[in-house]
Amino acid sequence: MTMYRKTLLAAAAGLALVGLAGGEASAKEYLLTAAKPNKVVLIDPAARAVEKVVEIPGPGVAPWTVIPSPDAKVAYVLTAHNEAVVGVDLDTGKEVFRTDMNEPENVRSKIMPAVELSRDGKELFVFVSPMKELPGEYQVMDTRVKVFSTADGVGAKPVREFEVPRRIALFFMSADDQTLWGLGWDLYGIDPKTGAIKETHKIVNGPKPDRAPADILDFWPQYEQADVFSTPYYTFDTTKQADDPTAYKTGMLTLDLKSGEFVMDEFEDTSAVIFSSVVNPVRRNEVFSTYTQLSKIDTATDTLVKRVDLPHTYYSINISGDGEEVYVAGTMCDIGIYSTADLSEKGRVEIPGCPDQGVASLRVIER
Amino acid sequence: MTRRRRTGLLSASLAAMTAGLLSGGAAAETLDPKALITERCASCHTPEGTDSWKRISHIRKTPEGWEMTLFRMGHLHGAKLSANEATALIRYLSDTQGLAPSETADYRYILERQPNVSEAEADEGLVTTCARCHSFARVALQRRDADEWLKLANFHVGQFPTAEYQFMSRDHEYWKRISTEMPKILGDRFPYQTAAWTAWKDADKPDPAGTWIVSAYQPGRGAIGGSMAVAPAADGTYTVTYDLVDASGQPVAGGGLATVFGGYEWRASTDLGGGSMREIMALSEDGKTLSGRMFQADADEIGARVTAVKADGQPTLVGLSQASLKAGESKTVTLYGDALPSTVDFGPGITVAPLTAAGDRVTVKVTAAKDAAPGWRTVKAGGSELSQAFAVYKSVDSVKVEPETAVARVGGGGGAMAAITAQLEAVGYLNGADGEPGTDDDVRLGALPATWTAANRDAAAEAMEDAKFALTSHGGGLFQPALAGPNPQRRFGTNNVGDLAVTAAVKNGGKTVTGEGRLVVTVQRWNDPPIH
Repeated sequence: MTMYRKTLLAAAAGLALVGLAGGEASAKEYLLTAAKPNKVVLIDPAARAVEKVVEIPGPGVAPWTVIPSPDAKVAYVLTAHNEAVVGVDLDTGKEVFRTDMNEPENVRSKIMPAVELSRDGKELFVFVSPMKELPGEYQVMDTRVKVFSTADGVGAKPVREFEVPRRIALFFMSADDQTLWGLGWDLYGIDPKTGAIKETHKIVNGPKPDRAPADILDFWPQYEQADVFSTPYYTFDTTKQADDPTAYKTGMLTLDLKSGEFVMDEFEDTSAVIFSSVVNPVRRNEVFSTYTQLSKIDTATDTLVKRVDLPHTYYSINISGDGEEVYVAGTMCDIGIYSTADLSEKGRVEIPGCPDQGVASLRVIER
Repeated sequence: MTRRRRTGLLSASLAAMTAGLLSGGAAAETLDPKALITERCASCHTPEGTDSWKRISHIRKTPEGWEMTLFRMGHLHGAKLSANEATALIRYLSDTQGLAPSETADYRYILERQPNVSEAEADEGLVTTCARCHSFARVALQRRDADEWLKLANFHVGQFPTAEYQFMSRDHEYWKRISTEMPKILGDRFPYQTAAWTAWKDADKPDPAGTWIVSAYQPGRGAIGGSMAVAPAADGTYTVTYDLVDASGQPVAGGGLATVFGGYEWRASTDLGGGSMREIMALSEDGKTLSGRMFQADADEIGARVTAVKADGQPTLVGLSQASLKAGESKTVTLYGDALPSTVDFGPGITVAPLTAAGDRVTVKVTAAKDAAPGWRTVKAGGSELSQAFAVYKSVDSVKVEPETAVARVGGGGGAMAAITAQLEAVGYLNGADGEPGTDDDVRLGALPATWTAANRDAAAEAMEDAKFALTSHGGGLFQPALAGPNPQRRFGTNNVGDLAVTAAVKNGGKTVTGEGRLVVTVQRWNDPPIH
């Protein structure tokens, strides 16, 4: 509730009202991520400290996609070697939801790794790549979405299923709960009730003139602060030679989950590897991206504003609700805190015992 | 050797299989392989009639290919087999569903674990579909019909769903492609039934027993040669006894146990010159030659290319301990061969003084006259001769770094994987009649002593200071990569990888001739199966 209301109000009312927009004096932002083996980690960024570490029950080593419930009480985590989504209560540490993909018995489904909740928190959408184990052979099956009711708790079975294109990597739900966006070869707008593809923004299948099909590999669904999903993409100017460094272009794709506005624009000749990015909820033309370097990109002018080296690789990134601090996480055991104004380092939080975060999502919740 | 490699659980098991199964289990031949298949495999691989089982009987593979299959069946599907049982199955399957010698000839580098190979497959579609993850040789060393290749496609995406998301697959409908176009392409090119296999399966197989003349070359070390005695042992295995010397004349003795799979695939484990070695070689169809590679069991990049010729009592010259001689200088050269006379001929301008008696290994002192003409010499011994194996030079025209591109891997540093070194050589050449370096008529003078340097190869390497971090030493062209793991001293705390331009400087009279190569120091290979 509050986190989505907040961004909506902030966007409508502008920077001056951000501090009031939460509406609950006690509400405070936390970072939510995961680490090996099978841990959910809650961080208080203002205190520069880990608030708590919750163990995920059951098998698994490397938690991947992390989806917070709208009330910020439950973290739904993809784990168990991509074969289960487990919901853990962040207050009690108890398992409140679990769905394993090993049914029917001779079908093995891997979650790859798109997982999303409806905005009301009632339905969980899981993208699976299933395979039938027959005697002496495997049979690849069509990829599909399994939809669960979060109220069904531990042992939840799908309430419905539908087929979707293969190779989807990310899901994000539109603000009105009417479109489940799936990022694969293209960006598919899927009807969450029927699975029908309502609209498609072409990516691989629709290159711009003089451009090779855009290449995107992004597994980090961090969009909650601005309600805009963003991801870097890479392409190639087909009018230039392969040995020309200016032929290689990096762009930013943004999808506004409220308005549905979709933009893909280049901002530099490729000069850095970028894994994931996040939009500033306050100054919405500012996009920050991470890998070995933290970058600040202005999508109003399609320019790289600033780039600084990071101490090591960070896969995931998120941002504070007031737009002042950007957080880099994933890979190793620390979360770096940087100023959105000048990308200077403002702090660092290390997870106790220094466990790898690997590919885990970095989310911001308010509780 | 003290180096340790492959210490992970999975890797250790793979290594155990690699080291043990293909060198001959003691009781392997006494087990009934068909009964084993019926008992351990047929619950999934259902019988299809006499001596035929679902899937198993529709695939042909190399011994290593079958070894990997058995490992996977044990690891993922609970097919429990002892080492002896697995060896018996690999023998049976290699004999009944192997590849003919001509079918493996172009791809032996992968079986032999040759370092620094760049594959030459021309079909871009097959390269992006298959060889972006593993070698193309791994594909080309299997035979299946289209329906069976389709089952392999199902296995790939079923077992590795990430295959659809990787670079070179995520830009197209990968699953659609490998489940529709690819099976037919592969079935046409590498079908189950071939004339070569039909002929080889029914052919008389060569007998490895006897005495072999060995001529081997180990980069960084030089020639090794002498004789190898092979005798039948228990359960279809062979004992191997070596009597070798290296280029400096030091004896390299030892022996071990060998097994021949599919009638020609020679696999041996030996203790040679004080170290554990493995051999992966092939008998020629006529049984007259045995060729391949021997390498350290714990560091397979360190090894020697081997050619052996079956001794038949007739004078036969197989190899030489030296490749060239400078005009006006003398050298001791050992000739490896069978029934060699003590007097041999190195051609015009070279005088030869015998140092040993006649036999299978003859050592002579050769002296080149100051005015000896530069170029190839044919070496003659008792009616046998070797051409383009020895050359005379006045000065070196060019130096090539060989291999031109090499790969080393970081290791150690508390991690599970040892570093993988790269041995480079500075090979001298004469330009030949056309006066141009790098052409077919160049005269190869062999590896020459060189001073080695390594530098950042390009601007990206310069920015990351690769040359400063990627190596610990490179004496004698043996490039030792740095420790594995994040390095806090480096930009981004990155590990010690690097892209290096290496230069070999060879003294040539008063001048220096240089050669350039590329050395990529990269990350560990975490998955080290018998076929990469």
